[in-house]
Amino acid sequence: MRNAYIDQFPEEARVIRATLWSSFLALMIGGTLGLIQGLHRTNVLRFIPSQDYYTVLTAHGVLLVITFTIFFLVGIFTWAVTTSLDRGVKDIRFTWGWYAMMTLGTLLVGVSILGGVVDQIPMNADVLYTFYSPFQAHPAFYVGFVLFVVGTWLAGFDWFRTWWAWKKDNPDERIPLPTFMALTTMLFWYLSSIGVAISILAFLLPWSLGIIDSVNPLLTRTLFWFFGHPVVYFWLMPAYMLWYTMLPKLSGGKLFSDPLARVVFVLFLILSTPVGIHHQYLDPGIAEGFKFIAMTNTMFLLLPSLLTAFTVVASMEHGARQRGGEGYLSWLKALPWRDPAFTGMALAGLMFAAGGFSGMINAGLSINYLVHNSWWVVGHFHLTVGTAVALTFMAASYWFIPQLTGKEIWNRSLGLVQVVLWFIGMTFMSNAMHRAGLFGMPRRTAEPQYQGFSFDPAVGTVAEIDAQIALGAALLTLSVYLFITNMVLTTIGGSTSDAIPDNTYAGTLSGPEDSPAIIDNLKLWTSIAVVLVIIAYSLPLASIIDAGGLFGPGIDPWKPSVVVDPSLVLESVRGVMP
Amino acid sequence: MRISKGGLLVIMAFLTPLIVELRTVLSWFGIRLSVVETGALGLALIVAVLIWALWPSNGDTEAKLA
Repeated sequence: MRNAYIDQFPEEARVIRATLWSSFLALMIGGTLGLIQGLHRTNVLRFIPSQDYYTVLTAHGVLLVITFTIFFLVGIFTWAVTTSLDRGVKDIRFTWGWYAMMTLGTLLVGVSILGGVVDQIPMNADVLYTFYSPFQAHPAFYVGFVLFVVGTWLAGFDWFRTWWAWKKDNPDERIPLPTFMALTTMLFWYLSSIGVAISILAFLLPWSLGIIDSVNPLLTRTLFWFFGHPVVYFWLMPAYMLWYTMLPKLSGGKLFSDPLARVVFVLFLILSTPVGIHHQYLDPGIAEGFKFIAMTNTMFLLLPSLLTAFTVVASMEHGARQRGGEGYLSWLKALPWRDPAFTGMALAGLMFAAGGFSGMINAGLSINYLVHNSWWVVGHFHLTVGTAVALTFMAASYWFIPQLTGKEIWNRSLGLVQVVLWFIGMTFMSNAMHRAGLFGMPRRTAEPQYQGFSFDPAVGTVAEIDAQIALGAALLTLSVYLFITNMVLTTIGGSTSDAIPDNTYAGTLSGPEDSPAIIDNLKLWTSIAVVLVIIAYSLPLASIIDAGGLFGPGIDPWKPSVVVDPSLVLESVRGVMP
Repeated sequence: MRISKGGLLVIMAFLTPLIVELRTVLSWFGIRLSVVETGALGLALIVAVLIWALWPSNGDTEAKLA
């Protein structure tokens, strides 16, 4: 008898399907916009005015790094909690409630961004994903964002109360690993998203509504990055969870060490938030000492990632040897490379290693000056969120969608081609972006090639770099469309199958009993995380408010507009006329 | 075949970053390859991997001979 997730938890499966499809829709739209950007910036094909580039860039960023990732992860965490606790959520109406809230938030944000290119929509939110001042968006953008984030908070509450109910029935049991991972991730998300909540509710929204005249730009920027870096780990931790709980199972083996996995998640809970200032190394209003603290905390975060690399690869080797693999490296041949779920996740992990190395450059206080605000950074995060996270999520879908629908994947070979195509496309694109950043090509601009100045690549030409980026972007978009096609045809065209594997996750070679119970003391780790945040942020925030005031020195907000003011144009022309 | 079709596909994909980065690495030693030369080198590597993967291993050859 079949024992897939849909058979065990049919109600929850329906909600998770909804979150995953919301995520896939965002991926499709956001991915298409990425191609438009890539072709425009590289001057290969331009069919939008350059000022619309920023609307496209905002939508691309928000849809992919917020909507796609977070809708997917709330679904996966719901699977993780219910599967590992072997019980459904307490009240499915509440679960639908937070999903509805996130959806409403997404719609408000999406429509306000769309207003940048559709004249009939009287809104504008060309503020990029990093929406700190002096950019100002329509209030609907901020309200939508708040609704979305509060939706995730409620989702976390849903998982916590499911765990509390389980704990009541199992007082002496250790927290099952997938639930432990979901809860620790949510704890640092609660802590870090307070930053963006304060930024929006106390400053940006009242400013956008005209209730206050001005804001302190450095303060809103710092509050954004208080949230803006931990959000990276909010996307990444579900990918880590899948590497820990699914990759060993798909490899045919067991997780090498449950205690190591718990330590990794505890380290992320403690260290994720007090690092945001490493995005502000070039901000003049923050003293170097605070930046040094942020750098130190960031470098500590390498430890859990290196532990993860060790544990996951050791688990895969164990699986390969169970399948008959032998030798120092020949065991690699015994891994299930025909399985798109396994291959996609393995390639995502491999690319994450490269992203980690470029991340170390970003995190270094002195060497960051070489690459800050350049295309290098864009290349970096396309390896991390754009591959480690996105490719893992797509690959995992080849396992999850059958679990959630009871149907076989429409075409698994196409799935394999799709994940490999993503790997190749991202190789071309991110390599070229990194190289462009090294010779100083800026990010966040539709017109990177200044007049009267030429970039000097170390190898090749700017045209070659541009061609490589355009090729990579095209392959990535093709990969997204192959993925969506496979998912659509599986869901609407596939037939129900009894051959869907059981809904399980990897067992362990070394279980939770091999670690001290204190590892599961979530209150202790959360308290330490709060103390570290206070140490890292209290003095910088006090200094920023002291220097620039709580609401700023009275700057005028700049409202992005697609309508060109003729008087400003005339003034500019006069300025350059001899 | 010495390797599964899935494994071969992944090796071919993995050649992409190797070839792309090889060009940069070679430039450090003063060897500057054009795009066409890099493509030719990549093609040669792919053909070499294909020959290795598709060439029957000793066991297979003996089995066929038997």
